[in-house]
Amino acid sequence: MTQLFLSIRKLRKAFGAFTAVHDVTLDIPKGEFLTFLGPSGSGKSTTLYAIAGFQDPTSGDVLLQGKSLLSVPSHKRNIGMVFQRYTLFPHLSVAENVAFPLRVRRRPEADVKRKVADMLSLVRLESFAERLPAALSGGQQQRVALARALAYDPPILLMDEPLSALDKKLREEIQAEIRRIHRETGVTVLYVTHDQEEALHLSDRIALFRDGRIEQIGTGEDLYLRPATEFVAGFIGNSNFLAAEHLESENGTASVRLADGSIVKGVKATHKLERGQKARLMVRPEAFRMRPVEGNASLTVEIVDMAFFGDRRRVVVRTGWGDEIDARPISDSTDRSNVGAVAGRQIFFDPAAAFLFPAEQGA
Amino acid sequence: MSVEAKQGIAPLRIPAGLGGLLPALILIGLFFVVPVLALLLRSVTDPAPGLQNYAALLGDVTYARVFFNTFLVALVVTIVTVLVAFPVAWMLAIMPATLASVLFGIIILSMWTNLLTRTYAWMVLLQRTGVINRTLMGAGIIDQPLPLINNLTGVTIGMVYIMLPFMILPLVGTLRAIDPMTLRAAALCGASPLAAFRRILLPLSLPGIAAGGLMVFVMSLGYFVTPALLGGTSNMMLAEMIAQMIQSLLNWGLGSAAAFILLVVTMALYALQLRLVGVRRSTGGA
Repeated sequence: MTQLFLSIRKLRKAFGAFTAVHDVTLDIPKGEFLTFLGPSGSGKSTTLYAIAGFQDPTSGDVLLQGKSLLSVPSHKRNIGMVFQRYTLFPHLSVAENVAFPLRVRRRPEADVKRKVADMLSLVRLESFAERLPAALSGGQQQRVALARALAYDPPILLMDEPLSALDKKLREEIQAEIRRIHRETGVTVLYVTHDQEEALHLSDRIALFRDGRIEQIGTGEDLYLRPATEFVAGFIGNSNFLAAEHLESENGTASVRLADGSIVKGVKATHKLERGQKARLMVRPEAFRMRPVEGNASLTVEIVDMAFFGDRRRVVVRTGWGDEIDARPISDSTDRSNVGAVAGRQIFFDPAAAFLFPAEQGA
Repeated sequence: MSVEAKQGIAPLRIPAGLGGLLPALILIGLFFVVPVLALLLRSVTDPAPGLQNYAALLGDVTYARVFFNTFLVALVVTIVTVLVAFPVAWMLAIMPATLASVLFGIIILSMWTNLLTRTYAWMVLLQRTGVINRTLMGAGIIDQPLPLINNLTGVTIGMVYIMLPFMILPLVGTLRAIDPMTLRAAALCGASPLAAFRRILLPLSLPGIAAGGLMVFVMSLGYFVTPALLGGTSNMMLAEMIAQMIQSLLNWGLGSAAAFILLVVTMALYALQLRLVGVRRSTGGA
């Protein structure tokens, strides 16, 4: 068990009648890379801002090593932060930007010089020390911002969608940099993003936010392979949802009836469901097979489109009752791509890789 | 017609594409360059050719006092204007746009109100038996009326009030261009509000302060109405002196020379500011 490091206790933030964060409680061990993932307006940034001290929570507490941070003004919290927008000081050189937190702390000049050199080599921008921020690309600016945020060895580094202004290739490059820097420095990172791939790539754990609450927290594998709710299943990775009716369940597995009357046995169900309750069956695209496998369930479908992607095919099919399914089965030699519409085919999936969720209100 | 027009323009050798600038150039030449040249000419020819007018102005203690006093007033007014304008400009820069535009309207409105009216209003407020002195005495804060008028204090108050919009407008532009997130970043880096102001906000707003400050300083150097009404006889400013030379003494040559010195000083200051702001920007002020 890791020691208690950063604790968020029943954090609530209301703006008038609108509550942006509902009683979020969270423990973050030292050195963890935790990502707040969620759609915009889900409260992830508001939670981060409360930790930074930019927003006073309505109630609740933020504790660092047992001491409340709330009465500490931002400039005394000793927290590092990289922002969504470029926030380098435009009138200072790269080296002076990184030196800024050390200068306001009145560190001796020799220490400042050494630390700036260390930090610039950490983000691999040694040769840019004398440039002004305006002469740097967006990716370089964010790396300087990272160096500036780490220069004073803060116990916590906050990152608020730092890569959202960059193009995809650059994003992936800097993600790798961030992973390396986290490994090398061991700093505790709280990272906010709405990009699930970025979250899966970077994080030790992911807290998935929805409407101001944490819907599920766990490793990327937890969220992908064991989603707690339909929202989690839909947000992380690609998923297909089929309308279903719950028949009976026992020990976390259930039997359901699909819209065409066929019965699927042995799907996973973590929620309590009544007999006959309307439900949604989630199947990942890669769980589908084109050929029958012992114990698999089958669906009779019409093939709308089929394309070949090397190791996998992308097959779009329509069920008899009109649901469209995006399947990514492993390629085998017997199927032909681009066959056009074919009716009356069967596709197969392992019920143990399917999850049953209660149908949400209004869904 | 067009052939004639071309022939008329051709001897001036105006590069292609600059023809459109001609009306503006004529306007500036006719109403700016020519009068300034006439002024210069007069200062070295009236009453007799030579530099005696300049020698008289620069060699006389009385005139030197006027020059000194002019620069002192302009400097004090500029400094006080910057100090008052900065918080107002910052507030305008960060407040919601609709509210800011209302306040802008009020500031602009004060510029459109007649200058003489505004200066007389200050006389009513500042004089010995004026509103301010009577209120303070009525409240028992002072026993004797404060000397607020016919001295440097009166001139400073009146002129700062008139100059404020010229400082606020360029400063708001500069401050709006500063991302407030930059200041949040400075705070998380450990900068106290004072340190963030000194190391980040102030250096970033220097171009606006310099632009507004120069405008205020230059306008103050040549200001006439407010110093004449609110100032005392012991601290006459250059514009008043020029008016006296020409209106009372009918000495056009001396007045022209004084006006020309003022113009040269103003242009020199402008050149200096261009250099300073340019240099500061490129070295990062570190």
